[in-house]
Amino acid sequence: MTVLRKLFRLAAALARELADESAYRRHLAHCSRTHSAAEWRRFMDAKLKSKYQQGKCC
Amino acid sequence: MKKRIFNVLWAAIACFAAVCLGFIARSNGEPVNSFWIVAAAICIFLIGFRFYAKFIATKVMLLDNRRATPAERLRDGHDFEPTNKWILFGHHFAAIAGPGPLVGPTLAAQFGYLPGLLWILFGAVLGGAVQDFTNLFCSMRRDGKSLGKMARDEISKTGGMVALVTVLLIMVILLAVVALVVVNALKGSPWGTFTIAATIPIAIFMGLYLRYARPGKVLECSAIGVVLLLLALFGGQWVANSPLWSSWFTLGGIALAFCIIIYGFFASALPVWLLLAPRDYLSTFVKLGVIMMLALGILIARPQLDLPPLTQFTNGLGPIFAGKIFPFCFITIACGAISGFHALISSGTTPKMIAREWHAWPIGYGSMLLEGFVGIMALVAAAALAPGVYFAVNSPAGIVGATPAAAAATITSWGFPVTAAQMSDLARQAGEATLFGRTGGAPSLALGMAHIFSRLGGGAVISFWYHFAIMFEALFILTIIDAGTRVGRFMLQDLAGHIRPGWGRTGWMPGVIGASIIIVAAWGYFLYQGVIDPLGGINSLWPLFGIANQLLGAIALCVATTIFLKMHRARYMWITVAPLVWLIATTFTAGWQKIFSPEPRLGFLAQAHALESSVAAGNIAASKLSATQTIIFNNKLDAVVCGILMLLVTITIIDSVRVWSGLLRGSVPARSSETPFVPSTLEVESI
Repeated sequence: MTVLRKLFRLAAALARELADESAYRRHLAHCSRTHSAAEWRRFMDAKLKSKYQQGKCC
Repeated sequence: MKKRIFNVLWAAIACFAAVCLGFIARSNGEPVNSFWIVAAAICIFLIGFRFYAKFIATKVMLLDNRRATPAERLRDGHDFEPTNKWILFGHHFAAIAGPGPLVGPTLAAQFGYLPGLLWILFGAVLGGAVQDFTNLFCSMRRDGKSLGKMARDEISKTGGMVALVTVLLIMVILLAVVALVVVNALKGSPWGTFTIAATIPIAIFMGLYLRYARPGKVLECSAIGVVLLLLALFGGQWVANSPLWSSWFTLGGIALAFCIIIYGFFASALPVWLLLAPRDYLSTFVKLGVIMMLALGILIARPQLDLPPLTQFTNGLGPIFAGKIFPFCFITIACGAISGFHALISSGTTPKMIAREWHAWPIGYGSMLLEGFVGIMALVAAAALAPGVYFAVNSPAGIVGATPAAAAATITSWGFPVTAAQMSDLARQAGEATLFGRTGGAPSLALGMAHIFSRLGGGAVISFWYHFAIMFEALFILTIIDAGTRVGRFMLQDLAGHIRPGWGRTGWMPGVIGASIIIVAAWGYFLYQGVIDPLGGINSLWPLFGIANQLLGAIALCVATTIFLKMHRARYMWITVAPLVWLIATTFTAGWQKIFSPEPRLGFLAQAHALESSVAAGNIAASKLSATQTIIFNNKLDAVVCGILMLLVTITIIDSVRVWSGLLRGSVPARSSETPFVPSTLEVESI
């Protein structure tokens, strides 16, 4: 049961990382800011700019 | 005692791998169960990971957990962030997994399942995973520098420039070939075309939802996107059954090619949050989900491989693509065993997120083995089809005949019985008008996956699973097209900025539109030539892509070898030099044959000359004269592109050998750009 729970937690953490939600949380903590629609848009604009400087793999 | 138990366990794994390979070897051409293949792959990959990769990490790289990684030293909460090992493993795998390991092994199955199987097993362990691991290590020790930057710093300025131009060229060929795979999968398929078209409004809806309705809720938004995708899939069936709507969505190859070209332009020019980013989230989750489903399906269904281990097409006269087993099996499998493109990921985001140096072992080496395993699953899915069906789906009409009866007769004459009625029944089950001549690998892979999935969920749902698999493949291929076109645009604007600084501004609209048009026109032209190619396009474009991709791998291995020499690890340089020599042998042989082979189906120039002779002799109808002239020009263009790629990599290799020779003789100082040692203070357990 513990193993299953650990696996589930890991999968959920991976999903949050792939969804950039963890990165957003880190950004808020790092800059000591709180969540808002404007903050999210600012974060995403910067994040996506660096993310798509590189092509997707074949 | 513990060590002894481990030794016994690893000996048992090795013996089991030998037993599995023995079963495959002793099948004498009889159908073999996929269990033995999957089990052999798992055991060999485990052994490679535990012993070979650990040897490289310990003896060559000298990985040291006491050394602070760039993620710790340069932590900024954005790009540089220490990340949990397994989360980063999943992140890296999601970034390197693309259509290559799915399509390549499917196409290479024309030689039989055995050559592809052996190459994926040993190529991934000794080549592909080594390349990914070493590049990740080199970049991690250099603050996450890119491959191009490392080539410039460690080899020479020429090396950096060559890497940049090679990447741009590969991008153009890659985008064309993956777009061709989508075109061939959707040609004449209203169900598939509607489903894929529906992903565009779904992605735009997701983009607006995330931007304005529920900012920050990416997982919630992606879950809604998946539900909408499934609805689009069911809607596709309704569209296919409606005479009015199916006529709207039944498109030919050229119309589909233009739709994708126009789409590529808008995806590149529109704001990234509106279409590209939401589609990327969606495709990542669908991709990982389907790969897990396929693994589960193969483990439960354990399909029998009806394709023989070796076919007569090892002689180079295969219908899917021309060329002998050496070098074309290795070129065709591409990313399933070695992918140069992975070096861009290994020297991109991942090295900036590694918390501990030893994490590079599972992330760099392990992820590539998992990619190899995806290639094995694709091979199993393709080889589980009846051989006659496999060749009927993948062979172009120009080779087997334009009518179902002619195609069935030709394929049966090769010793792979199939009938027009059998194919018609299969097409009806899959919800398609026909499955003959659906080249590109995606339809046959989708058919194989549909058979595996339907064994889990009842035989009546083949049509649903077939279109689900097509949707899955097309979804992430379109993400590659979106992102690739955008990156190509940035590269071009960057180059233009050197001529006039204003042209380099990525927000300057005329520059955005102009650069997007040039990039889209470049890959769009190759796509168009693939669509009008009487031999199906895949015959010329996939090998070109394979050659380009593996040549980039050669550059990555040159960089790693140079760095090992600078680390005074000359006695271990065979680790990167052996796969490098193999890559040079296969890519240069393939490149030479694609340009100069006298066989018209194989050599670009020979085909151009054969067509020129036909035109001169008056054997071409006046109505086809213009199209034939275009094909002649295209073949010459392909030969030139192939030649340029070989020349670029030759320059890098000569440059590298010059540096290596200087380093070995001591005439060149072993000046490395490695960052100095800084002790780590990171509590990894807290991540």
